[in-house]
Amino acid sequence: MADRLNEDRFDRMLARALQRHSEPAPADFVERMMTAIEQAEQQRILAAVVLQQRLALAATVLFGVITIIAVVFFPAAIAGVFRTITGAVGEQTNMWLDRIPQAVETVRSRWQFYTVLAAVFGFAVYNLMDLLLGDRLQTA
Amino acid sequence: MVNKVWEKRQMAHWLRLLRSGDQRAFGRFIDKYKETVFLCCRRLGLREDEIEDVASDTFLAAYKGLSRYTGQSSLSTWLWSIAYRKAVNYLRKNRRQQLEDEVDEQIVDSRQQEPAAPIETEETERIVWDAVERLPRLWAITVILHYREQKSIADIAKIMDTRENTVKTYLFRARARLKQLLSAAFGADDSGG
Repeated sequence: MADRLNEDRFDRMLARALQRHSEPAPADFVERMMTAIEQAEQQRILAAVVLQQRLALAATVLFGVITIIAVVFFPAAIAGVFRTITGAVGEQTNMWLDRIPQAVETVRSRWQFYTVLAAVFGFAVYNLMDLLLGDRLQTA
Repeated sequence: MVNKVWEKRQMAHWLRLLRSGDQRAFGRFIDKYKETVFLCCRRLGLREDEIEDVASDTFLAAYKGLSRYTGQSSLSTWLWSIAYRKAVNYLRKNRRQQLEDEVDEQIVDSRQQEPAAPIETEETERIVWDAVERLPRLWAITVILHYREQKSIADIAKIMDTRENTVKTYLFRARARLKQLLSAAFGADDSGG
């Protein structure tokens, strides 16, 4: 019991002595830290903007290259695509209605090609819009 | 009771501000905990020029990680664990030091008499602090976390990323060693003054 009391007294003495201790830290540490955080934040924003720019540029270039490859190596397919599109939109109403199943069938049979084309086209349009109109610094 | 509820609300409000990216709130956060982080780095044996780098790294990591802070442990426990990890990693990477090796070399006789109870003065504080500084670094950190920061064994284990039994062993051995050191110091003090 006496030992226990002594132990407790020792613990209390230790705790009080350690709690009274104050550790020195540079007085201007907070200011310097806030400056460092601000710089890190600016770098993060800058890195995001640069990445966005590169993506936009890459998408635009990629779309151009894909279009050229498609026109050079798959002219029939491209002609078919445009024929389907213009045909579906430009024909007379009754013809247009008749062509819907045909267009659906065309898309269904070559859906992978259309999916990739649509995705790349969408991405390119989005990035182009963003490049020209987007308020990039809004991310800040 | 009312004070505790008030403190809890204030803390929740402060946390919301911190998570929302409020710079002034983060400034207050640094001001409140800078001493803790410097203490952790110094006791782990970093040099003065290294301490500030590691402290800055710690607060930057805290700034980036605040959105992921779940509130399961207290804010100070969370920050202690970041500071501890950063400091230990720095020592391992730059000085190839393993703190555990230091601990294994210490053999302590735990059947020490309690030191004569001193009158608690600034001198006592200095003597106790000097004794803590002479402990192996992991023991010193455990003692500081337990007695100064009032952390539970579970929290200390979380901060040091170790098992609770290891923490208990460190504490037991550190206390025994401190008793030795303080007995000698207070004895010498008494005879000297």
